[in-house]
Amino acid sequence: MSVLRAMDKTMTCSEFQDSLPELFEAQADLSAQEHLKTCDNCAALVRDLEYIASQAKLLLPMHDPSPAVWDNIQQAIRHNPGDPHASGSAPAGRK
Amino acid sequence: MSAGPTQPRPANQHVRRNPPIAGEEEAIEKARNGDARAFETLYAMHKRRVYSLCLRMLGNVAEAEDLTQEAFLQLYRKIGTFRGDSAFSTWLHRLAVNVVLMHLRRKGLPQVSLEETLEPSQDDGPRKDIGARDLTLSGSIDRVTLERAIENLPPGYRLVFVLHDVEGYEHNEIAEMLDCSIGNSKSQLHKARMKLRDLLRTGQRKEQIA
Repeated sequence: MSVLRAMDKTMTCSEFQDSLPELFEAQADLSAQEHLKTCDNCAALVRDLEYIASQAKLLLPMHDPSPAVWDNIQQAIRHNPGDPHASGSAPAGRK
Repeated sequence: MSAGPTQPRPANQHVRRNPPIAGEEEAIEKARNGDARAFETLYAMHKRRVYSLCLRMLGNVAEAEDLTQEAFLQLYRKIGTFRGDSAFSTWLHRLAVNVVLMHLRRKGLPQVSLEETLEPSQDDGPRKDIGARDLTLSGSIDRVTLERAIENLPPGYRLVFVLHDVEGYEHNEIAEMLDCSIGNSKSQLHKARMKLRDLLRTGQRKEQIA
């Protein structure tokens, strides 16, 4: 379904929702969609999906690995201290 | 899929999300020449981001730590191939994503069978009956709640959602990484957001009842 089809006033909720991935990807101005002017449910859906996407972009790294991770990395490097650019050395296993 | 990170496009969210870090360039140069302290500095700079990425993609602390370790060991071996065409952190995160995807494929879990992963059951798909209109999410979801909901996504949905909405990869990059079509990536992202909405609304209803 084309994005333009989403402008159709006669679009059903199912048709509108099918077009949503394309509309989001096109970064279209969804508030201009005719269907949303008359459908509170789909309008709420769009608001929620936009909200989820916006909140996800704000998620920041919050977890540090345990100190054992660095210990294992050091150990693996010590056991294989050759050329750091060499490939094929196995990573250290978990302790 | 290649084991090493390719150079992603320089524009878009990656630039916004990967600003230069003071001292990073010097540490990279020294680490390329085998300076162990410089490599430790790079680890300290990037461990949280790499580990968080692994944890979000895997949903398992032990595996996330294993793959963080493997990602940095690959960094140690491959840092000489970093050409500086993109931000170092972008390059490193791409390397970490590849480590996670290779791990998943080795395990042969359903989430790496992309046909299955990207074509989940109808139960997980978008719901056409949107239901009660009294609940809207806007402004009501805190970070912890969203993180928990992401953890509860089916693995295939979680991969695409984390790569696109959290990490800022484009669909063409995700399609390349997951060996699927761009349309599939778009479709899966939409389904993931719909599933998240369901999870978050269900959580809200439970809170209201309690």
